[in-house]
Amino acid sequence: MSLRVLNPNAEVLNKSAALHMNINAAKGLQDVLKTNLGPKGTIKMLVGGAGDIKLTKDGNTLLKEMQIQSPTAIMIARTAVAQDDISGDGTTSTVLFIGELMKQSERYIDEGMHPRVLVDGFEIAKRATLQFLEKFKNSVVMGDEPDKEILKMVARTTLRTKLYEALADQLTDIVVNAVLCIRKPEEAIDLFMVEIMHMRHKFDVDTRLVEGLVLDHGSRHPDMKRRAENCYILTSNVSLEYDKSEINAGFFYSNAEQREAMVAAERRQVDERVQKIIDLKNKVCAGNDYNFVVINQKGIDPPSLDLLARAGIIALRRAKRRNMERLVLACGGEAVNSVDDLTPDCLGWAGLVYEHILGEEKYTFVENVKNPLSCTILIKGPNDHTIAQIKDAVRDGLRAVKNTIEDEAVVLGAGAFEVAASQYLVNKIKKTVQGRAQLGVQAFADALLVVPKTLAENSGLDTQDVIIALTGEHEHGNIVGLNQHTGEPIDPKMEGIFDNYSVKRQIINSGPVIASQLLLVDEVIRAGRNMRKPN
Amino acid sequence: MKEIVTIQVGGFANFIGSHFWNFQDELLGLAADPCGDPVFKNHSLNMDVLYRSGETQQGTLTYSPRLVSVDFQGSLGSMSSRGSFYNEATSAPPDVVTWTGNVSTHVAEPQRRNLFLQRLNEEEQENLTPVNSISGGSNDPQREIHDEDIVDFLDNGVKYWTDFSKVHYHPQSFYELGGLWMDSQQFDSYGVGRDAFSWDLRGEEISERLRFFVEECDHIQGFQFIVDDSGGFSSVAADFLENIADEYRNTPLLLYAVRDPGSYAIHKSQKQAISKNLHDAISFSRLSSLCKLIVPVGLPSLSRSKASAFLCIEDQKPYHCSAVYAAALHSISLPFRMEALGPSADSHNVSGAFDVNSVVQMLSGQGRKNMVAIMDVAMPAPFMTGRQAEKSLLGNLQPLTPEIAEDVEDLQAVESMTIHGALGTGGHQAPISEVKDMVHAAYENAITRPKFCNLSVALCPLPIPLPFPKIFRSVVGQHGELLGTPVNGSPLRGSLDVHSIPMAGRLRSSSAVLPFLENRLGNLRKFGTQQGAAGAELVRRWGFGKDELEDMGETLSTVVRELDPRSQASSDSD
Repeated sequence: MSLRVLNPNAEVLNKSAALHMNINAAKGLQDVLKTNLGPKGTIKMLVGGAGDIKLTKDGNTLLKEMQIQSPTAIMIARTAVAQDDISGDGTTSTVLFIGELMKQSERYIDEGMHPRVLVDGFEIAKRATLQFLEKFKNSVVMGDEPDKEILKMVARTTLRTKLYEALADQLTDIVVNAVLCIRKPEEAIDLFMVEIMHMRHKFDVDTRLVEGLVLDHGSRHPDMKRRAENCYILTSNVSLEYDKSEINAGFFYSNAEQREAMVAAERRQVDERVQKIIDLKNKVCAGNDYNFVVINQKGIDPPSLDLLARAGIIALRRAKRRNMERLVLACGGEAVNSVDDLTPDCLGWAGLVYEHILGEEKYTFVENVKNPLSCTILIKGPNDHTIAQIKDAVRDGLRAVKNTIEDEAVVLGAGAFEVAASQYLVNKIKKTVQGRAQLGVQAFADALLVVPKTLAENSGLDTQDVIIALTGEHEHGNIVGLNQHTGEPIDPKMEGIFDNYSVKRQIINSGPVIASQLLLVDEVIRAGRNMRKPN
Repeated sequence: MKEIVTIQVGGFANFIGSHFWNFQDELLGLAADPCGDPVFKNHSLNMDVLYRSGETQQGTLTYSPRLVSVDFQGSLGSMSSRGSFYNEATSAPPDVVTWTGNVSTHVAEPQRRNLFLQRLNEEEQENLTPVNSISGGSNDPQREIHDEDIVDFLDNGVKYWTDFSKVHYHPQSFYELGGLWMDSQQFDSYGVGRDAFSWDLRGEEISERLRFFVEECDHIQGFQFIVDDSGGFSSVAADFLENIADEYRNTPLLLYAVRDPGSYAIHKSQKQAISKNLHDAISFSRLSSLCKLIVPVGLPSLSRSKASAFLCIEDQKPYHCSAVYAAALHSISLPFRMEALGPSADSHNVSGAFDVNSVVQMLSGQGRKNMVAIMDVAMPAPFMTGRQAEKSLLGNLQPLTPEIAEDVEDLQAVESMTIHGALGTGGHQAPISEVKDMVHAAYENAITRPKFCNLSVALCPLPIPLPFPKIFRSVVGQHGELLGTPVNGSPLRGSLDVHSIPMAGRLRSSSAVLPFLENRLGNLRKFGTQQGAAGAELVRRWGFGKDELEDMGETLSTVVRELDPRSQASSDSD
């Protein structure tokens, strides 16, 4: 109110209008995203004003492509995208859950209930659901040899919601093997150690896992070999280019000879560095037919390339910073920052290094490595939007596998958890709650059902029938999910449909928080651009 | 040959860039034109410095700018974010190969190509057909009308910078910031853009684009970085610069911080004014701390400035203002790509080649440290003959940098000047030696002289491409000569009347920049760090601690002390 006094032109929406604005925005966002959900969802092809095509079935990608204006919708979208950042999946579910919480609340509020009471109920329900989740989850013992089958089932569940079955199944093996490849005992999994590289080439089914590394550049010298076997790999971050500014900032020379002398001296320093690398090569490759490859993060100029080429060394410059780390993990050895104390111990090893050229794009494959702790998923596809979509799916798949290993637990999918939790709230928790907060618990329980309902809707099934059938089974103590083809209840365990525990927990945690904030809004004040000019 | 990679960040930076690349494209076109002016055919400028050669998957050879451009999603108008070269040959909506379920297609209202882009497209189609139709036939009366329409249309109808671009760009060049969920008006301060670079994988993806172009360079001489620092893009650029400094430590970088006059709009409330002032101060402090040389460019009112004595600019049109700034940038960049024959030998066409590193070192590190340079321009440059000319050259060079002092006597000033396409007696090309003598004479006779001035001269004038605003007054002739009597007819002349102009551009390091620095320092203290400052809460929300701001203030005041003649006098007497 005081703001209205200060700024009479600010646009003020009263409580009920503000609330309905929030509810409508949440429902609007829900409507856009709900067709995405599940293996029977709809893929969206977005064609931009200039004809650019984006293909997505991922809530996260879709949200980022949308031009969202409403502040409420932006708030929900940020939460959902944060969900993806934290756990790698569940964007769509988060938006649906928030939307549904708002929708359920609307009914009660229209009947005159105060949002505060609902919010109290949400809080109780949330805590109860999280406790229920702890009991409901299936623990998986990871140990030294994780159960590959369970990892595959989780990965398959998420990938099948993004890609058609055959491709999803192919990628399932790839992502599981990729994560197991980079996994080190007693250490957190760093998914950045899986390089995702793409080529616009051939078909999506040519996507494969390279145990080793694929770099998106090649050597820059015509005389260097395009293919080499049995290679020592030197991973370095040393400037091999003549770089005047590095040594001498001077601009003026008293005469031309002096300038020439300076240039020659500086050049010599670079050449010496190159020579040290060549010396090492001569040392380790003497008397055998092994090859030597330098992969450098800094530049290598043509004179240095010449020297290296003459010595039979393959050299790549300006490698990605992250590839320095990956190379060492894949090939062994260590990344060197100086050529002063080069020893054979610094070197890594790869059985095969070769170059692949597509137009102006060059790729270097470093393969047949021993005990790799880094690998590359090479995505192929006929066009950019296909590649982009597969890439999104691969990222989600990797996250799902990582989550499973770190959670040491999974949750039954296909809507089984949501139905069970909803039942638990209604049958067990609601009764223990005093007064009208019961209705908040009820709303929460109803909102949880949005996942099975939407799954049913996207499969063209009757949502009422499905919910009745599912709850009926749960009443009898059978934990079931939805068969998307028939609408019949199925046992997700038998079908191998598992979701991530951490994703579910995150959704249940963040959804009610945002919904509560939106419900408790008293007034919406649009100020700023409508403000009066100062006199 | 030493390569330059250009980076453009933010709306107005891309407008300037668009004009800049149009000039380069025009130079390329004129050099290839069999019946073109010889001055454009042998300009001794190496275009490979700015351009890269490539090849599409289909085997077509390409030649495109070595450029990374960052802007809002949707700022590319009717241009595809993959540029125009490497297009997949698909016209029909492609099949979805990754999903066997339902597909819903959402098609945005197609951006219509404007008259100019339509013509461009048609010409290209013609060139593809084997029938060799002679293009550039300006005798064709029908075509002439067409050109008129285009020029008029562009003068009033430019919305996106792509609307007037005639250049083919590489698919790696454009990076659109998606998922910001705000429009350009909301993206208006350093704080708003704070996380825009680092969020998600954006920073990494942008850096990857840059790496793509750098990896190809045999010996990169530097980066040319243009940032629209009037809003959130300033912090995007700052984060990007930090990244670059980390990755390419020894590669020199020339930073242009540009503003369009619209960004100086009078602020409606005090709160906005505080936010704006703080933004300016913080933006400048951050950007200047991340580079060796920063050139602030962009006057609050270009139209009323002395720099547009022969021009008629409409300040509210970015298409207009950016043309002038781009011309100045072009002039400054010429020495970087002159073909040097050796330290002493000069060719007939160019003289005074140097690289980015030299100019950065020269301006920032001679005697005193000053990382802020002023940009001056004479557009068009006056005649290079007679005593009158000596005065008019220095008089015509007018600043494009805002908030600087006039007529400052600074004995320590260092300048780097480029003159190209200068006209001498009778409106003919003035030979290089003549221009050099003239400039030396001009400095001899000037009242205030810099400590040092580096001069680069080229014969090749600035070509005016068809998509160029009608901004020349009627005293500017066809070759940019200044006429005694105005030409009859239209009061404003554009690309159809003026084909090329002589230009003079200059960067100088001078204490004239003090007011610019003092304003920023003052605002930083007044609104940010002082006890009970009005903007203290705001900067906290932008994510700056008090210490951080105080450090910024300290750095700024060091620079001010370095430049301030008063403080120097006092330190001398110690």
